[in-house]
Amino acid sequence: MNAISIKGLSVSYDRKTVLTNVYMDMEAGKLYGVLGPNGAGKSTLFKAILGLISSNTGQVLINGEPVEEQRKKMVYIPQKGEIDWQFPATVMDVVLMGRYPFKGIFQRLSQEDKNIALQALEDMGIANLRSRQIGELSGGQQQRVFIARALCQQADIFLLDEPFVGVDITTEKKIIEILKQLTDKGKTILVIHHDLSKVKDYFDKVILLNQWLVAYGDTEVTFTEENINRAYRGQLSILHRTTLD
Amino acid sequence: MELFDLFNYALGIRALIASILVGMMCGVLGCFIVLRNMSLMGDALAHAVLPGVVLGFVVAGSAVALGIFAGATIAGLLAAIMITWLQHNAKTKNDAAIGIVFTAMFSLGVIGISKVSRKGAHLDLDHFLFGNVLGLSNADLYLTAGITLYVLLSVVLFYRYLFATTFQPVIAETMGIPVKVIHYYLMLLLSFAVVASLQAVGVILVVAMLITPASTALLLSNRLNWVIVISGIMGVLASVIGLVVADVYNAPPGPAMVVVATLMYLLAVFFAPKKGLLFKFLYKRKTRNRIQFEDTLKQTLKLHERSSLSLPNLQERLGFNSRILKYNLSLLTKKGLVNTKNNIISITEKGITQATRLVRAHRLWETYLVEEMSMDAGQIHEEAEKYEHVLTDDILDELEAKLGYPKLDPHGAPIPQNEYQPEKPLSMLPLNATAEIAQQQLNEHLITRLWQLGLGPEEVFIITEIEDNYIEIKMGRELVKVPRTLANKVNVVKLGEQVAMG
Repeated sequence: MNAISIKGLSVSYDRKTVLTNVYMDMEAGKLYGVLGPNGAGKSTLFKAILGLISSNTGQVLINGEPVEEQRKKMVYIPQKGEIDWQFPATVMDVVLMGRYPFKGIFQRLSQEDKNIALQALEDMGIANLRSRQIGELSGGQQQRVFIARALCQQADIFLLDEPFVGVDITTEKKIIEILKQLTDKGKTILVIHHDLSKVKDYFDKVILLNQWLVAYGDTEVTFTEENINRAYRGQLSILHRTTLD
Repeated sequence: MELFDLFNYALGIRALIASILVGMMCGVLGCFIVLRNMSLMGDALAHAVLPGVVLGFVVAGSAVALGIFAGATIAGLLAAIMITWLQHNAKTKNDAAIGIVFTAMFSLGVIGISKVSRKGAHLDLDHFLFGNVLGLSNADLYLTAGITLYVLLSVVLFYRYLFATTFQPVIAETMGIPVKVIHYYLMLLLSFAVVASLQAVGVILVVAMLITPASTALLLSNRLNWVIVISGIMGVLASVIGLVVADVYNAPPGPAMVVVATLMYLLAVFFAPKKGLLFKFLYKRKTRNRIQFEDTLKQTLKLHERSSLSLPNLQERLGFNSRILKYNLSLLTKKGLVNTKNNIISITEKGITQATRLVRAHRLWETYLVEEMSMDAGQIHEEAEKYEHVLTDDILDELEAKLGYPKLDPHGAPIPQNEYQPEKPLSMLPLNATAEIAQQQLNEHLITRLWQLGLGPEEVFIITEIEDNYIEIKMGRELVKVPRTLANKVNVVKLGEQVAMG
């Protein structure tokens, strides 16, 4: 069974079409790179998978079921810029959010919830930072907090929106290492990514978008100059192209 | 005494209780208003309830308090809905939509009051604008108590939802939390709070009771649950102190409460621990002083090494004015790092050790910038000048292990070495020797570095090649090249005598 199955998805905002007739199946336990120029519909694809767009046509199945049934199984990790780092929240507060989907309105968080959160923090090696305010962490630690929240939610599918923006190269490598370990445990991970030079090292599979699905599949087979040119329609600089060889 | 008089009267007691309730409720609710960047919305709802108040007053008959409450709540919600609708559908900017709706509704309310007054009914615009806390009836007080209880209970029960939708609305939505419902529920609570506060502080000043204590609390704590508690306490303090001050100085109570809240806020701006301006100033100065101190020590060592240590040379290298330099030298002398007897400067053993640590930090950081961050050797000195003052010993040990214990920095200058020598370093083993990685190593960071090369404790290996730069070892079938600088630091246990020696 496919982790994510998309059948005939089209999305338009204000009469402007953003994604047209996408058919795609994503395997469990793989690390996917989602690539394409600005406005290619990468974020829209994420929103559709997360069930945040109600006006689309077509169907998205998660683990073979409609999105509504599988919400808990998916996590979205937003770009750093979308988060208010001054917000008075501690690392533990954020990670515990992963338990919210399991709780009814009037249910309180239990000791077990806290233990699960702590375990997730330990898996990410940041348990010692749990009472820090989130703005006091380094870029790499901040990414780990949100991955820990995903673990705490015991999700199967991770959607990361440009996780490497504003982090140094060492941290970037560490995050990729962590993501690869997670796919080894059967998690399916989609990463919106901009730096084409690292694609071959980082991702098992790629999805190339430009308002329609240009190509998708194993990185070695799909990440070809021809496909990239079709996705970016000549928007690529020579600099980018030389890094592909 | 006037104060005494006030609390002897039922009116005074009622005013006091109402002030406490309103202060607490607005303080608590205000945290979410501020964190959601909805301060203007709070102000808007406060003004927008006015037509509802008038209508409620006219329709209600004898149950005035209840009529006003119902009318105001409906008007508040209506305003919230209209504002959101305009923002989404009319393509009007967010704050403009808020401004349009609330001024329109407020105007309707003012016109309404003038009409009602003409018919001889008692409705005083001034009381709505600036409050009339001393004119509270028992019914008003019960209503205020009921509303406060309801609002506080809601915040406690829905704390998780309020936190999630305030902090990350999109994430909350993916979790299946009804973000829009929560938004309107908060607007409902806000309308309640506004109505309850009308008599205490009035339409124009309600927003201050919502945002000023909350902003104060946000300067004082980094944890939302504490921010809420502190904000509630600040709200109570502001309204009670304001009421007493107003009584003593015969001033209007509402504005007095707001002035007190603002004074508390200003105190926090300047004196809050960590986030206060005074703290920041002192911290900056402390850091600057420490950097000057450490720079003086380092340059003293450098001049000492060139045997040209003197006050003028130091001054030229550091570029400090002589007062600052003398101050730092006296500080160094006091700590036993430098001697300044008979105006001759010399550096002590202890001083050399500490200055060497700074040099090590500087050169290790430069090496790190070049090797790991691919920076140019020409552009790293400035950066390292800053970082040598903040790197802890632990980070330095980690850096050193990560870089494989380099001996020279990118400019070719020697990096002062950690004196540690393992009992039996890997680099001392002859060719073909068999050994295992010892349990005991210099520190955690070295162990981590070894893990990264696939070398765990008690891993058995054979030396297969010895070169100037590296030593090649074989584990099972795998060949690993260990840089010589790293091999110097790795502790090993040589296995039995029968092992072939090179």
